[in-house]
Amino acid sequence: MSSISRSLRGFLLLELLSGFALTLKYMFRPKVTLNYPYEKGPLSTRFRGEHALRRYANGEERCIACKLCEAICPAQAITIEAEPRDDGSRRTTRYDLDMNKCIYCGLCQEACPVDAIVEGPNFEYATERRAELIYNKQKLLDNGERWETEIAMRLEKEAPYR
Amino acid sequence: MPKLTIDGLEVDVPAGTSVLQAAEQLGIEIPRFCYHDRLPVAANCRMCLVEIEKMPKPVASCAMPAGEGMVVKTQSPAALQARKDVMELLLINHPLDCPICDQGGECDLQDQAVAYGKDRGRYTEEKRAVVEKDMGPLIKTAMTRCIHCTRCVRFLTEIAGVPELGMVNRGEHAEITTYVGKALTSELSGNLVDLCPVGALTSAPYAYTARPWELKKTESIDVLDAVGCAIRIDARGNQVMRVLPRLNEDVNEEWLGDKSRHAIDGLAKRRLDTPFVRRNGRLEEASWNEAFAVIQDKLGGLPGSAVAAIAGDLADAESMFALKLLMDSLGSPHRDCRQDGAALDPAVSASYRFNTTIAGIEQADALLIVGSNPRIEAPVLNARIRKRFLKGGFAVAHIGVAADLTYPAQHLGDGVDTFQAVVDGAHPFFEVLKAAERPMIVLGMGALCRDDGARILGAARYLADKVGLVKDGWNGFNVLQTAAARVAGLDLGFVPGQGGLDTRGILAAARAGDIGAVWLLGADQIETNSLDQAFVVYQGHHGDVGAQVADVVLPGAAYTEKSGTYLNTEGRAQRAARAVFPPGEAREDWKILRAVSEVLGKPLPFDSLEALRALMAEGCASFAGIDKVVPGVWGDFGENGALNPALGPLGSAVSNYYMTDPISRASPTMARCTLEIGGNAKARTGTDG
Amino acid sequence: MADLWTNFLWPLILILIKIMAFVLPLLMAVAYLTYAERKVIAAMHLRKGPNVVGPFGLLQPMADGLKLFIKETVVPTGANPLVFLLAPVVTFVLALVGWAVIPVADGWVIADINVGILYLFAVSSLGIYGIIMAGWASNSKYSFLGALRSAAQMVSYEVSIGFVIISVLMSAGSLNLSNIVRAQSGLWYFIPHFPMFVLFLISALAETNRTPFDLPEAESELVGGYNTEYSAMTFAMFFLGEYANMILMSSLCTILFLGGWLPPVAVAPFTWVPGIVWFALKVAAVLFFYLWARATLPRYRYDQLMRLGWKIFLPLSLGWVVVTAVALHLFGWLPK
Repeated sequence: MSSISRSLRGFLLLELLSGFALTLKYMFRPKVTLNYPYEKGPLSTRFRGEHALRRYANGEERCIACKLCEAICPAQAITIEAEPRDDGSRRTTRYDLDMNKCIYCGLCQEACPVDAIVEGPNFEYATERRAELIYNKQKLLDNGERWETEIAMRLEKEAPYR
Repeated sequence: MPKLTIDGLEVDVPAGTSVLQAAEQLGIEIPRFCYHDRLPVAANCRMCLVEIEKMPKPVASCAMPAGEGMVVKTQSPAALQARKDVMELLLINHPLDCPICDQGGECDLQDQAVAYGKDRGRYTEEKRAVVEKDMGPLIKTAMTRCIHCTRCVRFLTEIAGVPELGMVNRGEHAEITTYVGKALTSELSGNLVDLCPVGALTSAPYAYTARPWELKKTESIDVLDAVGCAIRIDARGNQVMRVLPRLNEDVNEEWLGDKSRHAIDGLAKRRLDTPFVRRNGRLEEASWNEAFAVIQDKLGGLPGSAVAAIAGDLADAESMFALKLLMDSLGSPHRDCRQDGAALDPAVSASYRFNTTIAGIEQADALLIVGSNPRIEAPVLNARIRKRFLKGGFAVAHIGVAADLTYPAQHLGDGVDTFQAVVDGAHPFFEVLKAAERPMIVLGMGALCRDDGARILGAARYLADKVGLVKDGWNGFNVLQTAAARVAGLDLGFVPGQGGLDTRGILAAARAGDIGAVWLLGADQIETNSLDQAFVVYQGHHGDVGAQVADVVLPGAAYTEKSGTYLNTEGRAQRAARAVFPPGEAREDWKILRAVSEVLGKPLPFDSLEALRALMAEGCASFAGIDKVVPGVWGDFGENGALNPALGPLGSAVSNYYMTDPISRASPTMARCTLEIGGNAKARTGTDG
Repeated sequence: MADLWTNFLWPLILILIKIMAFVLPLLMAVAYLTYAERKVIAAMHLRKGPNVVGPFGLLQPMADGLKLFIKETVVPTGANPLVFLLAPVVTFVLALVGWAVIPVADGWVIADINVGILYLFAVSSLGIYGIIMAGWASNSKYSFLGALRSAAQMVSYEVSIGFVIISVLMSAGSLNLSNIVRAQSGLWYFIPHFPMFVLFLISALAETNRTPFDLPEAESELVGGYNTEYSAMTFAMFFLGEYANMILMSSLCTILFLGGWLPPVAVAPFTWVPGIVWFALKVAAVLFFYLWARATLPRYRYDQLMRLGWKIFLPLSLGWVVVTAVALHLFGWLPK
C-alpha cells in the first residue's frame, strides 16, 4: 500500500508541488534585508571584531608582555617583543597584529590575564591596502581608546560567564 | 642492598639511597622543589611526601633512606593529599604574577601546581612581600616568589664555594639574602637561575625578552673558555637570546660559567657584517668581490715566505685546517695558533692537554696548580676540583699569585723559585705528590706564556718523572688551556712548518718588513702595531683590535653561527652547531677560505664541510670521533735550563674573567660585570657617566 | 526602378523594421528578465534583491550591461581565438533567429511559414554548436566538460520535446504555429495534453540549461561550465542568448499549450485586450515558473538527469503520442 502511495506521490510530483508551495509562501513574507550602511543589525556582546589594546583608567597600558596571546594565536598573527621599561616593569616594545592573518577566533582575549588585548565591536575597518591591516602597538592602543566605553560595557556584561 | 617496594614494584638499591632516588630508578617521578641530584639534601619543601607503610605520617622521600622491606606508595590518596596541602601552603605567599615572570613556561612550581594545585585559594589574609636583593648584574630577583627551597644557598656554598647567600630569620620572616647586600662574586652564579625552581632568581640580561616556547633550541658547545661546556643555544629569529648548560657528565656536569652564559649579547654588538677594504687609510665597506680582488692583488705577487697566518682563540678546527692548507699551497711555513706565544710543544700531544680529563679529577688525590687560576680560567673545571676536594683526602697546592680558588689550596709561593724548589724535591709538597697514588699537576698559561715558559714546561716534565705523574692508567700531567682553538690548532699542526716563524717571529719579521702579508684568523691578542707595515687580512666576526689594523676585513661567523669542531683542553673533539645565521654578508669561515683559494688560483681540495672534515680526520686522529678523547702521546718535551725569577710572579693568563675574547669584550653585560663584580668596581666620581 | 523598389527594397526595409520591432523589445525583455530573476529569487530567499541602482533597482540591468560592455575581453593563451570569439556570436544569433516564426499575436509574425515548428526545432538544435565550440575553443577542462554535458543534455531532451510536439501537431493538424494557436480557440491544449504540458515545461528547463538541470555550468563542480573562460561582451552574448532562449521556449510553450494570443475566455472584457498582451502575460507566467523552479529545486545529479530524459520522459511522451493517435482516430477528432 505504502509503495503504491509512494509511487503515486512521485508520479503526481507532490513533493515538487509542496516545495514550490513553500517557496511561493516565502515570497510574500516580510524581508529580512537591512539597508546596511544606514541600518545595522544587533551585535552580541561576544562579537569578535577589530582588536584593541586597553589601558587602565590611570592611563597605564594593561599589556604586560606575557606573550600568552602570541603563544595561543593559531594563525600566528601576533608578534611581541618585550624588555624591561625604565621603571623596571615588563612592557612590550613591539606589539604587531597582522589582521590579514587573524582568524578572529578570540583566543587572544581568552588568554589575556589582564584583559589588555580584546576583540572589540568594530568590524568596519576595511582598508585599500594590505599593509594598512598590519597593526602596530600604537594603532591597537588608539583603538582601545576609541572603543573603551563599549569594550568596558561588553566586558562587564560578559563578566558573569567568564 | 635494601630491597623495597614502591607502588607495587620491587627494587634493589645500594644502602644510603633515598626513597626518591629509588623511585627514580623505577621511573617513578616524585615531585620535588628543594631536592637536586648534585646538591646536599635539605628536605625543606616537603613536596616529595610519600606514604610509607607502618609510618605514622607522610615522609619526605628525598631525605628518607631506603630501608629493607619498605612499602612505599607514591600515588596513594594520603600522599596525594599531602602534596596538595603542601602546594596550597607554598602558594599562600607565592604571588600570582606568572604572566610577568620570566620563569613562566619553564617553572617547576607552575607545572606542579597544574598537577597538585587548587583552582582557588582559601587564604584571605595579607600576603607576604619580600624586598628584592641586589645579586649583581646577572641575577634579577623577585624574592616574594621564593619558596625557600635553599637550592641557591646550597649551590653557592657547596658547588661554587662562595658562601654569599643564606637564609635569615624564621617562619613568616624567613628570607634568602646576600648577607652583606653586594653582588655575588661567583663565576658560576648563572646556575642559580637554572636551579631556582620558581621565578625568584631569574636571568637579568634575559629579563622579559623572550618566552621559552618561542625559542629555537640548538645543542652546541661553548668556546669562550677551553673547557668546551655542553650548551643549549636558545635563539629567537636570528638572535641568540640565551645560553643554557646541557648535561655532559664528562665535562661540565650541568653547570656553566657566567661568561659563557651571558657574553652572548656581544654576538650582536660590534659585528663585522660586510667585507671592508682599507682605502686612503680608512676601512670602507666593500663587496666580497672587491675584497677578494684586493687580496689577489696583494698576495698574488708575494713569495710564500713573505706570507704568514695567525689563528685566534675562537677559531674552529675546520677553518684553521683550511687556512693551513691555503698557506701550504702558497708555500708559506709561517703560521701559528699560539697568538699569546705560549711555549706549547706541538710535537708531543700529551704536553699540551689536560690528560687527566676533567672527570678524572675526581680520582686524583693530590694536585699542584702552577701559574694558573682555574677559578677564572675555567670555572666549571674549578668546580670539579672543589667537588673532589669536598670528598676529602685531597691535597691541593697552588704556586702563583695568591687567589681564592673557592677551596683551601695550600699557597706555596708566587714565583718560579718555589716551583723550582718543588721540582728539585726541596719543598715538602714534593713528598706529598710523590706519596700520592694519583697525583696531578696543572700548568696554566700564566706559566707557559712567560719567556721562560719552555723551561717551566721542561721542569714540569722532569717533575712528572720524579713523582710518577704518568703511570699505568693515569696521567697526572695537565695543561689548562684558556683558548678553545688551541688544542685543535696544535693537533692540526697549525704551527710553524719547516723554517717557519712562530707568532713572535712573525710579528718581528713583519716589523722588519720581511713578511709582507699576514692573515689573521680571528687573532686579536697580538701586538697589532707590529703589523703596520704588512698587508693584513683579518678574518673574524668582531671589530676588535685585529680588524682595526687590517687592510682587508672578511666577515666570518661566530661560534653560534656555524657548525665547527673544537678540541677542548682535554683534547675532546666536540661539535658546535649553528643556531642562527651569520649577520649580513658574513659567511662561514671555511667557505671564505675556500673562496679565497679559488681567487688565488690554488683551489683547496674540498667543496663541502663533509669533505673538509673527512680530509681533516684523515690527517689527525683527534677528529675521528666526536665527543671522544683520543689520549695524548707521552714523550719528551720542554727545555732544560734555569727558570727566571726576574720575570715576576706566576700570574694567571686571564686578568679579567668577564673579558677574554672579542665576543665578551663586545658584550655590555660583561662590561657591567667587570665594573660591578669581583673588586673591579671603582668608586664613582662626579665625572662618571 | 520602381520594380526594384516594390519587389526588393521595400520588402527588405519592411522585414528589417519587423525584425527591429521584435529584437528590441526582446532584448529589453531579456534585460528585465535578469532583473526579475534576481527580484523573484531574492523574495523567495526573504531578501530584497537589487534596489540601489535606480528606483527599485530598475536600472540594475543597464548597469550590469554597461559593466560587461566596458570590460576587457580576455582570450585565454591556449584558446583558438577564431572559434572562441565565434561561439558566443553563434549562440546569440541562433537564439534570436528562432523568433522569426513566433506569432506574438494574430498575424504578428515575421515569417508565417508552414513548417514553423520544424524550423524552430532545427534552430534550437543548432544552438548546441555554439556551446560545443565555446567548450572546445576555450582549451580548459571545465569548459570542455561543461560543453559535453550541455550537448548531451540538450540532445536528450530535444527527443522528448519532439514527441510532445508531435502529440500537439496531431491535435492541431498543422505545422504552422499560427494555425496551432488558432486550433486552440476552443480548448487550450494544456488541458487534454496536461501530462505533456508538464513534461514540456520540465524538458524546457533542461533544454535551456536552467536549474535544476544547470549541470553544464554547475559552478560547484565545473566553475562556470562552457563559459568559464569568457568575459565582458563575449560572456554577455552567451548570457543574452541563454535568456533569449528561455523566452523563446516560454513562447513555444505558450503557443503549443496555452493558446498563444488567445484570451482565456472569448467574451467581452477579455476580447478587448489585444492578443499581444495575453501572449506576453502567458509568457511571463511560464518565465515566472522558470525562476520559481530555480529558487526551489536543488541541482540534479548528471546520471539522474540522463535517466529522467531517456527512461522516463521518452517512454512517456512516446506512449502519449500513441494514446493521442488512438484517441483521435477512435473518436474521429482528427483535424480536417
